[in-house]
Amino acid sequence: MKRRDIAIFLTMSLLAVVMIYPFIFMINTSFKSNQQFLGATGHSLSSWKKLFTAMPVGRQLLNSTIVCIGAISLILVVSTMAGFALSKLRSRFSALFFIGIVGAMLIPLQSIIIPAYINASKLNLLSGYWGAIFIYAALGTPFATFLMTSYFRGLPDELIEAAICDGLNYRKVFTKIALPLGIPAIVTVIVLQFIQIWDDLLVGLLFIQDPNYRTITVGLGALSAGRTTSIPVLMAGSLLSAIPAVAVYLIFQRQLVNGLTAGMGK
Amino acid sequence: MLSSQSLSSQRKRVGIFFALPALALVSAFLGIPIIQAGYFSFTQWDGITAVWTGLSTYSHELHNPIFWRVLENNGLLFIGIPVAMLFPMGIAFLLNEKVRGWKAFRTIFFLPTAVSWVVIGMVALRFFAQEGTLNGLFSGFGLSFIKTDFLSSENGALFAVAVTFIWSMVGTNTIIFLTGMATLDSSLNEAARMDGASNFRIFRSITLPQLRRFIQFSFIITVISAFTALFSLIFVMTGGGPGFGTTTLEFFIFQSAFSRGDFGTGAMLGVILFFMMAILGVGQLAIMRSKEE
Repeated sequence: MKRRDIAIFLTMSLLAVVMIYPFIFMINTSFKSNQQFLGATGHSLSSWKKLFTAMPVGRQLLNSTIVCIGAISLILVVSTMAGFALSKLRSRFSALFFIGIVGAMLIPLQSIIIPAYINASKLNLLSGYWGAIFIYAALGTPFATFLMTSYFRGLPDELIEAAICDGLNYRKVFTKIALPLGIPAIVTVIVLQFIQIWDDLLVGLLFIQDPNYRTITVGLGALSAGRTTSIPVLMAGSLLSAIPAVAVYLIFQRQLVNGLTAGMGK
Repeated sequence: MLSSQSLSSQRKRVGIFFALPALALVSAFLGIPIIQAGYFSFTQWDGITAVWTGLSTYSHELHNPIFWRVLENNGLLFIGIPVAMLFPMGIAFLLNEKVRGWKAFRTIFFLPTAVSWVVIGMVALRFFAQEGTLNGLFSGFGLSFIKTDFLSSENGALFAVAVTFIWSMVGTNTIIFLTGMATLDSSLNEAARMDGASNFRIFRSITLPQLRRFIQFSFIITVISAFTALFSLIFVMTGGGPGFGTTTLEFFIFQSAFSRGDFGTGAMLGVILFFMMAILGVGQLAIMRSKEE
Protein backbone atom coordinates (compact mmCIF):
# COMPACT_ATOMS: atom_id res chain seq x y z
CA MET A 1 0.00 0.00 0.00
CA LYS A 2 2.80 2.37 0.92
CA ARG A 3 4.66 1.70 -2.30
CA ARG A 4 1.48 2.33 -4.26
CA ASP A 5 1.09 5.75 -2.62
CA ILE A 6 4.63 6.66 -3.55
CA ALA A 7 4.04 5.61 -7.16
CA ILE A 8 0.90 7.74 -7.34
CA PHE A 9 2.68 10.67 -5.75
CA LEU A 10 5.50 10.47 -8.28
CA THR A 11 3.10 10.21 -11.22
CA MET A 12 1.17 13.24 -9.97
CA SER A 13 4.40 15.18 -9.47
CA LEU A 14 5.51 14.45 -13.01
CA LEU A 15 2.13 15.54 -14.27
CA ALA A 16 2.31 18.69 -12.17
CA VAL A 17 5.54 19.58 -13.97
CA VAL A 18 3.79 19.12 -17.33
CA MET A 19 0.88 21.33 -16.25
CA ILE A 20 3.06 24.02 -14.76
CA TYR A 21 5.59 23.99 -17.61
CA PRO A 22 4.16 27.05 -19.43
CA PHE A 23 4.60 29.14 -16.31
CA ILE A 24 8.18 27.99 -15.86
CA PHE A 25 8.84 28.69 -19.54
CA MET A 26 7.27 32.15 -19.35
CA ILE A 27 9.12 33.16 -16.20
CA ASN A 28 12.44 31.80 -17.40
CA THR A 29 12.18 33.25 -20.92
CA SER A 30 10.88 36.67 -19.91
CA PHE A 31 14.02 37.28 -17.84
CA LYS A 32 16.26 36.79 -20.86
CA SER A 33 17.29 39.16 -23.58
CA ASN A 34 16.74 37.95 -27.15
CA GLN A 35 20.40 36.90 -27.41
CA GLN A 36 20.15 34.99 -24.16
CA PHE A 37 17.01 33.26 -25.42
CA LEU A 38 18.81 32.24 -28.59
CA GLY A 39 21.66 30.60 -26.70
CA ALA A 40 23.73 33.07 -24.71
CA THR A 41 23.83 32.39 -20.99
CA GLY A 42 22.44 34.45 -18.14
CA HIS A 43 19.32 36.44 -17.40
CA SER A 44 18.43 40.11 -17.67
CA LEU A 45 15.58 42.56 -17.31
CA SER A 46 15.88 43.92 -20.84
CA SER A 47 12.81 42.13 -22.21
CA TRP A 48 10.63 43.48 -19.42
CA LYS A 49 11.87 46.98 -20.23
CA LYS A 50 11.16 46.45 -23.92
CA LEU A 51 7.66 45.20 -23.17
CA PHE A 52 6.65 48.57 -21.79
CA THR A 53 7.71 50.32 -25.01
CA ALA A 54 6.20 47.65 -27.30
CA MET A 55 2.81 47.77 -25.60
CA PRO A 56 0.99 50.39 -23.49
CA VAL A 57 0.79 47.90 -20.65
CA GLY A 58 -0.66 50.17 -17.99
CA ARG A 59 -3.35 51.50 -20.29
CA GLN A 60 -4.30 48.02 -21.47
CA LEU A 61 -4.51 46.65 -17.95
CA LEU A 62 -6.79 49.57 -17.13
CA ASN A 63 -8.90 48.86 -20.23
CA SER A 64 -9.27 45.20 -19.27
CA THR A 65 -10.33 46.25 -15.79
CA ILE A 66 -12.90 48.73 -17.08
CA VAL A 67 -14.41 46.23 -19.52
CA CYS A 68 -14.55 43.54 -16.82
CA ILE A 69 -16.17 45.85 -14.27
CA GLY A 70 -18.70 47.17 -16.79
CA ALA A 71 -19.74 43.79 -18.11
CA ILE A 72 -19.81 42.04 -14.73
CA SER A 73 -21.88 44.85 -13.15
CA LEU A 74 -24.43 44.53 -15.92
CA ILE A 75 -24.50 40.75 -15.62
CA LEU A 76 -24.99 40.95 -11.85
CA VAL A 77 -27.82 43.46 -12.02
CA VAL A 78 -29.86 41.61 -14.63
CA SER A 79 -29.07 38.05 -13.51
CA THR A 80 -29.82 38.51 -9.81
CA MET A 81 -33.13 40.21 -10.67
CA ALA A 82 -34.06 37.58 -13.22
CA GLY A 83 -32.91 34.75 -10.97
CA PHE A 84 -35.09 36.05 -8.14
CA ALA A 85 -38.06 36.43 -10.48
CA LEU A 86 -37.67 32.95 -11.94
CA SER A 87 -37.32 31.25 -8.57
CA LYS A 88 -39.59 33.23 -6.24
CA LEU A 89 -41.96 35.34 -8.37
CA ARG A 90 -43.13 32.68 -10.74
CA SER A 91 -45.83 33.14 -13.34
CA ARG A 92 -46.74 31.30 -16.54
CA PHE A 93 -44.16 33.47 -18.24
CA SER A 94 -41.30 32.13 -16.05
CA ALA A 95 -41.09 28.62 -17.48
CA LEU A 96 -40.91 29.97 -21.02
CA PHE A 97 -38.29 32.50 -20.03
CA PHE A 98 -36.23 29.84 -18.28
CA ILE A 99 -36.24 27.68 -21.42
CA GLY A 100 -35.14 30.71 -23.42
CA ILE A 101 -32.25 31.33 -21.03
CA VAL A 102 -31.07 27.72 -21.18
CA GLY A 103 -31.44 27.83 -24.97
CA ALA A 104 -29.33 30.99 -25.13
CA MET A 105 -26.54 29.12 -23.33
CA LEU A 106 -26.34 26.85 -26.37
CA ILE A 107 -25.70 29.67 -28.85
CA PRO A 108 -22.02 29.69 -29.85
CA LEU A 109 -20.41 33.12 -29.95
CA GLN A 110 -19.27 32.55 -33.52
CA SER A 111 -22.85 32.06 -34.68
CA ILE A 112 -23.98 35.52 -33.65
CA ILE A 113 -20.78 37.44 -33.94
CA ILE A 114 -21.21 38.67 -37.52
CA PRO A 115 -24.71 40.16 -37.20
CA ALA A 116 -23.85 41.41 -33.69
CA TYR A 117 -20.77 43.12 -35.09
CA ILE A 118 -22.71 44.81 -37.90
CA ASN A 119 -25.45 45.90 -35.46
CA ALA A 120 -22.90 47.31 -33.03
CA SER A 121 -21.20 49.21 -35.82
CA LYS A 122 -24.53 50.71 -36.91
CA LEU A 123 -25.24 51.73 -33.31
CA ASN A 124 -21.76 53.29 -33.01
CA LEU A 125 -20.82 50.94 -30.20
CA LEU A 126 -17.43 50.01 -31.60
CA SER A 127 -15.53 53.20 -30.82
CA GLY A 128 -15.30 52.87 -27.05
CA TYR A 129 -15.80 50.11 -24.52
CA TRP A 130 -19.55 49.71 -24.87
CA GLY A 131 -19.72 47.23 -27.74
CA ALA A 132 -17.49 44.76 -25.92
CA ILE A 133 -19.19 45.39 -22.57
CA PHE A 134 -22.65 44.65 -23.98
CA ILE A 135 -21.55 41.52 -25.83
CA TYR A 136 -19.68 40.13 -22.83
CA ALA A 137 -22.67 40.92 -20.62
CA ALA A 138 -25.12 39.25 -23.00
CA LEU A 139 -22.89 36.18 -23.29
CA GLY A 140 -22.48 35.89 -19.52
CA THR A 141 -26.08 36.58 -18.52
CA PRO A 142 -27.68 33.22 -19.44
CA PHE A 143 -25.40 31.11 -17.28
CA ALA A 144 -25.37 33.70 -14.48
CA THR A 145 -29.19 33.75 -14.49
CA PHE A 146 -29.26 29.96 -14.43
CA LEU A 147 -26.89 29.95 -11.46
CA MET A 148 -28.80 32.64 -9.54
CA THR A 149 -32.12 30.92 -10.21
CA SER A 150 -30.95 27.61 -8.81
CA TYR A 151 -29.36 29.36 -5.85
CA PHE A 152 -32.43 31.43 -4.96
CA ARG A 153 -34.58 28.31 -5.29
CA GLY A 154 -32.77 27.04 -2.21
CA LEU A 155 -34.08 29.96 -0.12
CA PRO A 156 -37.20 28.93 1.83
CA ASP A 157 -40.45 30.42 0.54
CA GLU A 158 -41.56 30.96 4.16
CA LEU A 159 -38.79 33.51 4.57
CA ILE A 160 -40.12 35.59 1.70
CA GLU A 161 -43.75 35.21 2.81
CA ALA A 162 -42.89 36.22 6.36
CA ALA A 163 -41.13 39.35 5.10
CA ILE A 164 -44.13 40.23 2.91
CA CYS A 165 -46.43 39.77 5.91
CA ASP A 166 -44.19 42.14 7.84
CA GLY A 167 -45.02 44.76 5.24
CA LEU A 168 -41.98 44.65 2.95
CA ASN A 169 -42.68 44.84 -0.77
CA TYR A 170 -41.00 42.49 -3.24
CA ARG A 171 -38.39 45.02 -4.23
CA LYS A 172 -37.33 45.35 -0.58
CA VAL A 173 -37.37 41.59 -0.09
CA PHE A 174 -35.01 41.34 -3.06
CA THR A 175 -32.54 43.99 -1.91
CA LYS A 176 -32.73 43.35 1.86
CA ILE A 177 -33.05 39.57 1.98
CA ALA A 178 -32.35 37.76 -1.28
CA LEU A 179 -29.27 39.72 -2.34
CA PRO A 180 -27.39 39.45 0.98
CA LEU A 181 -28.18 35.73 1.14
CA GLY A 182 -27.14 35.32 -2.48
CA ILE A 183 -23.60 36.56 -1.96
CA PRO A 184 -21.92 33.14 -2.40
CA ALA A 185 -23.55 32.69 -5.81
CA ILE A 186 -22.78 36.30 -6.71
CA VAL A 187 -19.10 35.74 -5.91
CA THR A 188 -19.11 32.65 -8.12
CA VAL A 189 -20.56 34.65 -11.01
CA ILE A 190 -17.97 37.41 -10.54
CA VAL A 191 -15.05 34.98 -10.48
CA LEU A 192 -16.22 32.94 -13.48
CA GLN A 193 -16.97 36.00 -15.57
CA PHE A 194 -13.82 37.84 -14.59
CA ILE A 195 -11.60 35.01 -15.79
CA GLN A 196 -13.64 34.51 -18.94
CA ILE A 197 -13.73 38.18 -19.96
CA TRP A 198 -10.16 38.95 -18.92
CA ASP A 199 -8.88 36.03 -21.02
CA ASP A 200 -11.03 36.61 -24.11
CA LEU A 201 -9.61 37.61 -27.46
CA LEU A 202 -12.30 37.40 -30.14
CA VAL A 203 -14.89 39.84 -28.76
CA GLY A 204 -12.24 42.37 -27.79
CA LEU A 205 -10.56 42.03 -31.17
CA LEU A 206 -13.75 42.85 -33.09
CA PHE A 207 -15.79 45.06 -30.78
CA ILE A 208 -13.02 47.40 -29.67
CA GLN A 209 -11.82 49.19 -32.78
CA ASP A 210 -9.78 51.96 -31.21
CA PRO A 211 -6.34 50.57 -30.19
CA ASN A 212 -6.34 52.93 -27.20
CA TYR A 213 -9.23 50.97 -25.71
CA ARG A 214 -7.75 47.52 -26.30
CA THR A 215 -7.68 45.04 -23.45
CA ILE A 216 -4.39 43.42 -22.50
CA THR A 217 -5.31 40.05 -24.01
CA VAL A 218 -6.16 41.68 -27.33
CA GLY A 219 -3.03 43.80 -27.18
CA LEU A 220 -0.99 40.67 -26.66
CA GLY A 221 -2.76 38.81 -29.46
CA ALA A 222 -2.10 41.69 -31.84
CA LEU A 223 1.52 41.87 -30.78
CA SER A 224 2.02 38.16 -31.39
CA ALA A 225 0.19 38.21 -34.73
CA GLY A 226 2.64 40.88 -35.90
CA ARG A 227 5.46 38.32 -35.54
CA THR A 228 8.03 41.09 -35.18
CA THR A 229 8.23 41.15 -31.41
CA SER A 230 10.91 39.00 -29.80
CA ILE A 231 9.79 35.93 -27.92
CA PRO A 232 11.09 36.97 -24.48
CA VAL A 233 9.12 40.23 -24.75
CA LEU A 234 5.97 38.29 -25.68
CA MET A 235 6.54 35.97 -22.73
CA ALA A 236 6.89 38.92 -20.37
CA GLY A 237 3.61 40.27 -21.71
CA SER A 238 1.95 36.86 -21.44
CA LEU A 239 3.03 36.45 -17.86
CA LEU A 240 1.87 39.93 -16.90
CA SER A 241 -1.51 39.46 -18.56
CA ALA A 242 -2.02 36.07 -16.90
CA ILE A 243 -1.27 37.23 -13.35
CA PRO A 244 -4.62 38.89 -12.48
CA ALA A 245 -6.77 35.95 -13.60
CA VAL A 246 -4.45 33.42 -11.99
CA ALA A 247 -4.49 35.42 -8.73
CA VAL A 248 -8.30 35.51 -8.77
CA TYR A 249 -8.32 31.77 -9.40
CA LEU A 250 -5.97 31.00 -6.53
CA ILE A 251 -7.96 33.15 -4.11
CA PHE A 252 -11.44 32.03 -5.20
CA GLN A 253 -10.71 28.47 -6.26
CA ARG A 254 -13.66 27.03 -4.36
CA GLN A 255 -16.19 29.41 -5.90
CA LEU A 256 -14.87 28.64 -9.36
CA VAL A 257 -15.23 24.91 -8.85
CA ASN A 258 -18.73 25.46 -7.43
CA GLY A 259 -19.65 27.42 -10.54
CA LEU A 260 -18.36 24.68 -12.79
CA THR A 261 -20.18 21.89 -11.02
CA ALA A 262 -23.39 23.95 -10.68
CA GLY A 263 -23.91 23.22 -14.38
CA MET A 264 -24.44 19.59 -13.48
CA GLY A 265 -27.41 20.43 -11.27
CA LYS A 266 -25.59 18.87 -8.35
CA MET B 1 -53.00 43.73 4.70
CA LEU B 2 -53.39 42.74 1.08
CA SER B 3 -55.71 39.94 0.05
CA SER B 4 -53.94 36.84 -1.23
CA GLN B 5 -55.50 37.37 -4.66
CA SER B 6 -53.94 40.77 -5.21
CA LEU B 7 -50.73 39.63 -3.57
CA SER B 8 -50.39 36.85 -6.10
CA SER B 9 -51.04 39.15 -9.02
CA GLN B 10 -48.61 41.67 -7.59
CA ARG B 11 -46.01 38.92 -7.30
CA LYS B 12 -46.43 37.96 -10.94
CA ARG B 13 -46.25 41.57 -12.07
CA VAL B 14 -43.06 42.21 -10.13
CA GLY B 15 -41.68 38.91 -11.42
CA ILE B 16 -42.15 39.92 -15.04
CA PHE B 17 -40.71 43.35 -14.36
CA PHE B 18 -37.64 41.79 -12.69
CA ALA B 19 -37.01 39.41 -15.58
CA LEU B 20 -37.26 42.12 -18.24
CA PRO B 21 -33.73 43.59 -18.12
CA ALA B 22 -32.11 40.17 -18.61
CA LEU B 23 -34.58 39.39 -21.38
CA ALA B 24 -33.84 42.69 -23.12
CA LEU B 25 -30.07 42.29 -22.89
CA VAL B 26 -30.01 38.69 -24.10
CA SER B 27 -32.55 39.35 -26.88
CA ALA B 28 -30.74 42.42 -28.18
CA PHE B 29 -27.28 40.90 -28.33
CA LEU B 30 -27.90 37.16 -28.75
CA GLY B 31 -31.52 36.53 -29.75
CA ILE B 32 -31.85 39.08 -32.55
CA PRO B 33 -28.38 38.35 -34.00
CA ILE B 34 -29.07 34.60 -34.20
CA ILE B 35 -32.29 35.32 -36.12
CA GLN B 36 -30.41 37.74 -38.34
CA ALA B 37 -27.74 35.10 -38.92
CA GLY B 38 -30.48 32.78 -40.11
CA TYR B 39 -31.81 35.42 -42.48
CA PHE B 40 -28.45 36.57 -43.83
CA SER B 41 -27.37 32.97 -44.44
CA PHE B 42 -29.79 33.08 -47.40
CA THR B 43 -28.22 36.21 -48.84
CA GLN B 44 -25.11 37.53 -50.42
CA TRP B 45 -24.01 40.06 -47.87
CA ASP B 46 -21.00 42.35 -47.64
CA GLY B 47 -22.05 43.88 -44.33
CA ILE B 48 -23.92 46.78 -45.96
CA THR B 49 -26.24 45.46 -48.63
CA ALA B 50 -27.73 41.99 -48.64
CA VAL B 51 -29.16 40.36 -51.76
CA TRP B 52 -31.52 37.42 -51.27
CA THR B 53 -30.04 34.36 -52.94
CA GLY B 54 -32.06 31.61 -51.27
CA LEU B 55 -30.24 28.38 -50.72
CA SER B 56 -27.43 29.16 -53.13
CA THR B 57 -24.94 30.08 -50.38
CA TYR B 58 -25.56 26.69 -48.84
CA SER B 59 -25.31 24.72 -52.06
CA HIS B 60 -22.26 26.70 -53.12
CA GLU B 61 -20.54 25.91 -49.83
CA LEU B 62 -21.43 22.22 -50.04
CA HIS B 63 -19.43 22.09 -53.26
CA ASN B 64 -16.50 23.92 -51.77
CA PRO B 65 -13.65 21.47 -50.97
CA ILE B 66 -12.26 23.88 -48.36
CA PHE B 67 -15.52 23.64 -46.42
CA TRP B 68 -15.16 19.86 -46.27
CA ARG B 69 -11.53 20.21 -45.29
CA VAL B 70 -12.65 22.44 -42.42
CA LEU B 71 -15.29 19.95 -41.29
CA GLU B 72 -12.67 17.20 -41.46
CA ASN B 73 -10.54 19.24 -39.05
CA ASN B 74 -13.50 19.42 -36.68
CA GLY B 75 -13.90 15.66 -37.06
CA LEU B 76 -10.24 15.06 -36.28
CA LEU B 77 -10.49 17.26 -33.18
CA PHE B 78 -13.56 15.26 -32.18
CA ILE B 79 -11.41 12.12 -32.16
CA GLY B 80 -9.27 13.80 -29.52
CA ILE B 81 -12.26 14.18 -27.20
CA PRO B 82 -12.13 10.67 -25.64
CA VAL B 83 -8.46 11.27 -24.87
CA ALA B 84 -9.30 14.64 -23.35
CA MET B 85 -11.80 12.84 -21.07
CA LEU B 86 -10.12 9.51 -20.25
CA PHE B 87 -6.81 10.99 -19.26
CA PRO B 88 -8.35 13.31 -16.62
CA MET B 89 -10.57 10.46 -15.45
CA GLY B 90 -7.45 8.46 -14.66
CA ILE B 91 -5.94 11.44 -12.90
CA ALA B 92 -9.08 11.91 -10.84
CA PHE B 93 -8.98 8.24 -9.82
CA LEU B 94 -5.43 8.59 -8.59
CA LEU B 95 -6.11 11.89 -6.85
CA ASN B 96 -9.15 10.36 -5.21
CA GLU B 97 -6.78 8.02 -3.34
CA LYS B 98 -5.99 11.19 -1.36
CA VAL B 99 -2.23 10.85 -1.62
CA ARG B 100 -0.12 13.38 0.19
CA GLY B 101 -0.63 16.83 -1.30
CA TRP B 102 -3.61 15.89 -3.47
CA LYS B 103 -5.22 19.28 -2.93
CA ALA B 104 -2.07 21.02 -4.16
CA PHE B 105 -2.02 18.78 -7.22
CA ARG B 106 -5.64 19.62 -7.90
CA THR B 107 -4.83 23.33 -7.73
CA ILE B 108 -1.89 22.94 -10.11
CA PHE B 109 -3.82 20.84 -12.63
CA PHE B 110 -6.62 23.38 -12.76
CA LEU B 111 -4.28 26.36 -13.06
CA PRO B 112 -4.21 26.52 -16.91
CA THR B 113 -7.98 27.04 -16.84
CA ALA B 114 -7.36 30.55 -15.52
CA VAL B 115 -4.92 31.38 -18.33
CA SER B 116 -6.09 32.80 -21.64
CA TRP B 117 -5.81 30.81 -24.86
CA VAL B 118 -3.65 33.61 -26.21
CA VAL B 119 -1.02 32.93 -23.58
CA ILE B 120 -1.37 29.14 -23.88
CA GLY B 121 -1.07 29.44 -27.64
CA MET B 122 2.06 31.52 -27.41
CA VAL B 123 3.81 29.03 -25.16
CA ALA B 124 2.57 26.08 -27.25
CA LEU B 125 4.01 27.78 -30.33
CA ARG B 126 7.50 27.68 -28.76
CA PHE B 127 6.93 24.20 -27.44
CA PHE B 128 6.23 22.70 -30.86
CA ALA B 129 8.64 24.87 -32.87
CA GLN B 130 11.56 23.44 -34.87
CA GLU B 131 14.02 24.48 -32.16
CA GLY B 132 11.38 24.25 -29.45
CA THR B 133 11.10 22.33 -26.21
CA LEU B 134 9.57 19.14 -27.61
CA ASN B 135 12.22 18.67 -30.28
CA GLY B 136 14.80 19.52 -27.64
CA LEU B 137 13.42 16.69 -25.51
CA PHE B 138 13.56 14.30 -28.48
CA SER B 139 17.22 15.16 -29.05
CA GLY B 140 17.93 14.84 -25.35
CA PHE B 141 16.64 11.28 -25.34
CA GLY B 142 18.66 10.43 -28.45
CA LEU B 143 15.59 10.48 -30.63
CA SER B 144 16.63 13.31 -32.91
CA PHE B 145 15.50 11.32 -35.94
CA ILE B 146 11.84 12.02 -35.03
CA LYS B 147 12.56 15.74 -34.71
CA THR B 148 10.00 17.51 -36.89
CA ASP B 149 8.78 21.00 -37.45
CA PHE B 150 5.24 20.26 -36.27
CA LEU B 151 3.74 23.57 -37.26
CA SER B 152 4.96 23.52 -40.85
CA SER B 153 2.89 20.51 -41.95
CA GLU B 154 -0.91 20.40 -41.97
CA ASN B 155 -1.17 17.21 -39.94
CA GLY B 156 1.61 18.19 -37.58
CA ALA B 157 -0.01 21.55 -36.87
CA LEU B 158 -3.42 20.02 -36.23
CA PHE B 159 -1.78 17.48 -33.96
CA ALA B 160 -0.06 20.29 -32.05
CA VAL B 161 -3.36 22.16 -31.66
CA ALA B 162 -5.13 18.98 -30.51
CA VAL B 163 -2.44 18.14 -27.95
CA THR B 164 -2.55 21.69 -26.58
CA PHE B 165 -6.33 21.44 -26.38
CA ILE B 166 -6.20 18.09 -24.55
CA TRP B 167 -3.61 19.47 -22.16
CA SER B 168 -5.75 22.49 -21.38
CA MET B 169 -8.84 20.35 -20.67
CA VAL B 170 -7.05 18.33 -17.98
CA GLY B 171 -7.98 20.73 -15.19
CA THR B 172 -11.68 21.09 -15.94
CA ASN B 173 -12.31 17.41 -16.59
CA THR B 174 -10.30 16.29 -13.57
CA ILE B 175 -12.42 18.56 -11.37
CA ILE B 176 -15.62 17.19 -12.91
CA PHE B 177 -14.60 13.58 -12.30
CA LEU B 178 -13.30 14.33 -8.81
CA THR B 179 -16.68 15.85 -7.98
CA GLY B 180 -18.31 12.73 -9.37
CA MET B 181 -16.12 10.40 -7.36
CA ALA B 182 -16.96 12.27 -4.18
CA THR B 183 -20.58 11.21 -4.73
CA LEU B 184 -19.75 7.50 -5.12
CA ASP B 185 -21.36 5.15 -2.66
CA SER B 186 -18.44 3.12 -1.29
CA SER B 187 -20.70 0.58 0.44
CA LEU B 188 -21.61 -0.77 -3.01
CA ASN B 189 -17.92 -1.45 -3.73
CA GLU B 190 -17.50 -3.25 -0.45
CA ALA B 191 -20.57 -5.39 -1.05
CA ALA B 192 -19.30 -6.31 -4.51
CA ARG B 193 -15.84 -7.08 -3.19
CA MET B 194 -17.39 -9.34 -0.58
CA ASP B 195 -19.13 -11.17 -3.42
CA GLY B 196 -15.72 -11.69 -5.01
CA ALA B 197 -15.88 -9.13 -7.83
CA SER B 198 -12.57 -8.08 -9.36
CA ASN B 199 -11.40 -4.46 -9.35
CA PHE B 200 -12.05 -4.16 -13.05
CA ARG B 201 -15.54 -5.59 -12.64
CA ILE B 202 -16.28 -3.16 -9.81
CA PHE B 203 -15.10 -0.25 -11.94
CA ARG B 204 -17.13 -1.27 -14.97
CA SER B 205 -20.36 -2.35 -13.31
CA ILE B 206 -20.53 -0.13 -10.25
CA THR B 207 -18.32 2.93 -10.59
CA LEU B 208 -18.92 3.82 -14.24
CA PRO B 209 -22.74 3.74 -14.04
CA GLN B 210 -22.63 6.01 -11.00
CA LEU B 211 -20.39 8.42 -12.89
CA ARG B 212 -22.58 8.54 -16.00
CA ARG B 213 -23.96 12.00 -15.36
CA PHE B 214 -20.47 13.38 -14.87
CA ILE B 215 -19.13 11.67 -17.97
CA GLN B 216 -21.92 13.25 -20.00
CA PHE B 217 -21.30 16.67 -18.51
CA SER B 218 -17.60 16.37 -19.22
CA PHE B 219 -18.38 15.32 -22.79
CA ILE B 220 -20.57 18.38 -23.36
CA ILE B 221 -18.00 20.77 -21.90
CA THR B 222 -15.21 19.16 -23.92
CA VAL B 223 -17.13 19.29 -27.22
CA ILE B 224 -18.14 22.90 -26.62
CA SER B 225 -14.51 23.79 -25.97
CA ALA B 226 -13.20 21.89 -28.98
CA PHE B 227 -15.66 23.43 -31.41
CA THR B 228 -16.26 26.92 -30.07
CA ALA B 229 -13.44 27.93 -27.73
CA LEU B 230 -10.29 27.36 -29.73
CA PHE B 231 -10.44 30.50 -31.86
CA SER B 232 -7.77 32.35 -29.90
CA LEU B 233 -5.52 29.32 -29.69
CA ILE B 234 -5.64 28.82 -33.46
CA PHE B 235 -5.32 32.56 -34.08
CA VAL B 236 -2.09 32.72 -32.10
CA MET B 237 -0.62 29.30 -32.85
CA THR B 238 -1.20 28.73 -36.55
CA GLY B 239 -3.53 31.38 -37.97
CA GLY B 240 -5.55 28.45 -39.32
CA GLY B 241 -2.67 27.17 -41.41
CA PRO B 242 -0.57 25.90 -42.94
CA GLY B 243 -3.06 26.05 -45.80
CA PHE B 244 -6.35 25.22 -44.12
CA GLY B 245 -4.68 22.58 -41.96
CA THR B 246 -5.92 23.91 -38.63
CA THR B 247 -8.95 25.93 -39.77
CA THR B 248 -11.92 24.64 -37.81
CA LEU B 249 -15.47 25.78 -38.45
CA GLU B 250 -15.36 28.55 -35.83
CA PHE B 251 -12.14 29.91 -37.33
CA PHE B 252 -13.51 29.62 -40.85
CA ILE B 253 -16.46 31.82 -39.83
CA PHE B 254 -14.09 34.54 -38.71
CA GLN B 255 -11.97 34.19 -41.85
CA SER B 256 -14.94 34.29 -44.23
CA ALA B 257 -16.38 37.41 -42.70
CA PHE B 258 -13.43 39.43 -41.50
CA SER B 259 -10.65 38.42 -43.86
CA ARG B 260 -12.65 37.90 -47.04
CA GLY B 261 -15.57 40.25 -46.35
CA ASP B 262 -18.07 37.54 -47.24
CA PHE B 263 -20.52 38.13 -44.41
CA GLY B 264 -23.29 36.03 -45.96
CA THR B 265 -21.14 32.89 -46.01
CA GLY B 266 -19.89 33.70 -42.50
CA ALA B 267 -23.47 33.95 -41.24
CA MET B 268 -24.34 30.67 -42.94
CA LEU B 269 -21.37 28.88 -41.39
CA GLY B 270 -22.46 30.30 -38.04
CA VAL B 271 -25.90 28.78 -38.54
CA ILE B 272 -24.32 25.41 -39.34
CA LEU B 273 -22.17 25.60 -36.20
CA PHE B 274 -25.23 26.51 -34.16
CA PHE B 275 -27.14 23.47 -35.42
CA MET B 276 -24.15 21.21 -34.86
CA MET B 277 -23.93 22.29 -31.22
CA ALA B 278 -27.71 22.18 -30.76
CA ILE B 279 -27.91 18.63 -32.14
CA LEU B 280 -25.04 17.50 -29.92
CA GLY B 281 -26.62 19.18 -26.90
CA VAL B 282 -30.16 17.97 -27.47
CA GLY B 283 -29.00 14.48 -28.45
CA GLN B 284 -27.02 14.29 -25.27
CA LEU B 285 -30.04 15.37 -23.21
CA ALA B 286 -32.22 12.81 -24.95
CA ILE B 287 -29.77 10.00 -24.17
CA MET B 288 -29.59 11.13 -20.56
CA ARG B 289 -33.38 11.18 -20.22
CA SER B 290 -33.94 7.81 -21.86
CA LYS B 291 -31.39 6.12 -19.58
CA GLU B 292 -32.89 7.61 -16.47
CA GLU B 293 -36.32 6.20 -17.13
